Amino acid sequence: MAVLIAGSAVRTCLGSGAETFEGLLRGACGVSPLRYGDPEKLNVAHGYHADLADEPFRAGRLLAECLAEAVAQSGVDTDTQRVAVLVGTGLRELSAVERLALTGESVPADRLDFADVVARALPGVTDVTTVVNACSAGGHVLALAQDLLELGECDAVVVAAADAMTRSMLAMIGRVAEEPTGRVRPFDRDRTGVLLGEGAAVLVVVPETWEGPSLGKVTATGLSCDAYHATAPDIEGIARAMSDAYTRAGRIPSDVDVVVAHATGTALNDPVECDALRKVVLGGGGNPLVTAVKGATGHTSGSAALVNVDVALRIFASGEVPAVTGLSEPLDEATGLRLVIGEAVTARPELVQVNAFGFGGVNAVTLLERA
Amino acid sequence: MSGRAGETRLLLTGWSLHLPGIEGFDGAPPEKAATVLGRKGLLYKEPSTRLALCAVHRALGWEPGQRATGSIETGTAVVACSNLGNVETVAKVTRAVEAEGGRAVSVLDAPNVSPNVVASTVALWFGFGGPNLMLCSGSTAGHAGLRMASLLLRSGRATRVVLVGAEPDDEIASILHDGPLRAGSACAILEPWRENAGRVVVDVGPGKPMPRCTVGPGGFDVKERWGDFYGAHGVVELALAAHLAVTEGEGRVGIGPRRPDGGPSVTVTEHSDEMGFR
Repeated sequence: MAVLIAGSAVRTCLGSGAETFEGLLRGACGVSPLRYGDPEKLNVAHGYHADLADEPFRAGRLLAECLAEAVAQSGVDTDTQRVAVLVGTGLRELSAVERLALTGESVPADRLDFADVVARALPGVTDVTTVVNACSAGGHVLALAQDLLELGECDAVVVAAADAMTRSMLAMIGRVAEEPTGRVRPFDRDRTGVLLGEGAAVLVVVPETWEGPSLGKVTATGLSCDAYHATAPDIEGIARAMSDAYTRAGRIPSDVDVVVAHATGTALNDPVECDALRKVVLGGGGNPLVTAVKGATGHTSGSAALVNVDVALRIFASGEVPAVTGLSEPLDEATGLRLVIGEAVTARPELVQVNAFGFGGVNAVTLLERA
Repeated sequence: MSGRAGETRLLLTGWSLHLPGIEGFDGAPPEKAATVLGRKGLLYKEPSTRLALCAVHRALGWEPGQRATGSIETGTAVVACSNLGNVETVAKVTRAVEAEGGRAVSVLDAPNVSPNVVASTVALWFGFGGPNLMLCSGSTAGHAGLRMASLLLRSGRATRVVLVGAEPDDEIASILHDGPLRAGSACAILEPWRENAGRVVVDVGPGKPMPRCTVGPGGFDVKERWGDFYGAHGVVELALAAHLAVTEGEGRVGIGPRRPDGGPSVTVTEHSDEMGFR
C-alpha cells in the first residue's frame, strides 16, 4: 500500500525546501569556508553550512524548525491522533561528545538523541525512535514509517532526519583527501571528494485514505545491507535495495522517469552508483534523467535522503529537473546515463527514484509518484 | 503477524547473555573477544562492537572461532541497540586531531566515527544482508529494537532478525551516562510466528494469563542486581526472560512492570508450555 506525504520541510545551506530547489534550478553552490575546527589540522577547508550560530546541538535546532513547519503544513493533529516520530541521523549530536573531549564540558547522554527536541516541538507525541543509520538514515525511517502505516499501527508518522558536522567525521574526510576539496562535484571526472553539509528534513506521512492535500506518494522503499565492506559500497547490495523497491512497489525499472542520485562526489560512491544504475535501471529497460543534489548542498548525511525526497516532490510540482551542480565532465562509468548537466530540463515524471547509501553498506532506495 | 487481539507474536529461536563478570552469564571481555570470535579481523574493532559480535556468535550457537561461510543471507536483518558504543572513539579522534593534526588519525577508525558501526559490523561479520538498523534511543533502545524487529518481520522485509544490544563502560561513556555503566551484550534471534515451529514465543502487548515471574521492577531487576546496561538493557531483559522461561523452566516470563490497563508488555513463553508441544 502506498502512503501519502502530507507535509514536508527542509533546511540546508541554501535555506528552506523552496529556497534549496530554487538554488538547484539556478545552479547555486552553498559552499563556504569551514566554520568548525581547524582547517589546517583537519585538511578540510570548506563546508556547506546552514544558517546557524556556532552553537551546541545544531542538528536539533534545525530539526525543531522542520518539525514545526511540516506538521503545521500537514494538518495532522499530534495531540489527538496516533502519531509516531522516527528520527534518522548519521551523527546524532556527537559534536557534544567532541566538546567534552576538548573542554571537559559534559552533557547528559540523552541529549545525544532527539527525543527531547521532538518533545519540545510536538508535545503531544510520546513515541519517538532515533535511528542512526549513517547517510541513508532518512531513507530507512521512511521505509519503517510506511510499514507502520500499512500495519495500521499509527494514524500518521513524522519522518524526520537531521545532521550537523562533527570534527571526527571531518577528520576522516580530510584524512582520505590528497588536498582539501573545494566543492562537491558529483559524477564529475575531476571530482576531489566529499564535503559535509548541515541539514534537516521532515516529512509527515499518512495512509492513502488521507483526505487532505498531499504533496506526493511514496510507493515503496527498498532496504538492504551490503555485508561487504565497512566503508566501500557494493554494487550487489545496492542492486538488491533497488530490486526490493521495485518489487514492493509493483513497478519495473523502465517505469522510472527520474533518479535523484546519492552522488557524494567520492571515488568510492560515484562509480559504483553509476554501475548499479546502468546494471539495474538501464539493464531493466529504463532510461531516466539522473540528477543529484550534493554539489549544491554538500553531503547532509542522515538527512540527505529526505532532502532528496523533497526535491523529488518539487520536480513533480514544477516540471523542472535541476542539473547536477558542479558537474561538467562525467566520469567514464556514467556512460549511457542521462545526467542532467548545465541547465534544468523540463519534464513531467510519473515515477522518481531516490537513492541513499551509507557507511556500513546500508542502502535505501525510494520510489515516489506524483499525488 | 498477530496472535491474540492487540498482541504481536513472534518466535524467538536463539538468545544469549554475554555479560562479563556476571556469574552464570559470564562472557569474554572485549579484550578477550578472540576466544569467542577467533583471532582474525578484530583490529580496530571497538569494545561495544566486540561485545555485540560475541553475543550474536553465542546466540547462533557457533563454536569458538567459527566464521561465516557461504553466501550472504539476504533475509536476515540486524537491529542493534547501543547509545554510547562509539563515543570513546569520537573523543579519541577529536583529541588526536587537536594535539597532532588529522594525519595522526587512522583511516581504520573511519567506520568507528559513525555510530552505526555496531549494526553494520554484525552484518559484515556474519554475512547478514537484510535491512540493518542502529537504534540509539536512550534507555529504551532495546524495547524500540524489539518493536522494529517485529515490524521488519511482519512487513516481510526479513525472515529473521538478529536483535543485539551492546554497551561499553569506558570513561567517556560513563561521564555522559552520569553514573555507573555495566559493559555487556545480549542477543535475541527472532522469526515470524508459526505453529509448532520454534522453542520460544514472544508476545508483544497485553497477554494472558499472567506470567509466572517477571523481569523488571518487582521481579528480577537487572539494573538493581547486575548494573545498568543502558541501551542494551531491553535486549538483556528479553534474553534473560528466554533463559528463565526455558532453561530455568519458568514457562511464562513477563518483562517490565505490568500496567493496570494490561499493557504494553512483553511475555516470553516456552513454546511447549504454550502449545502443548514438545
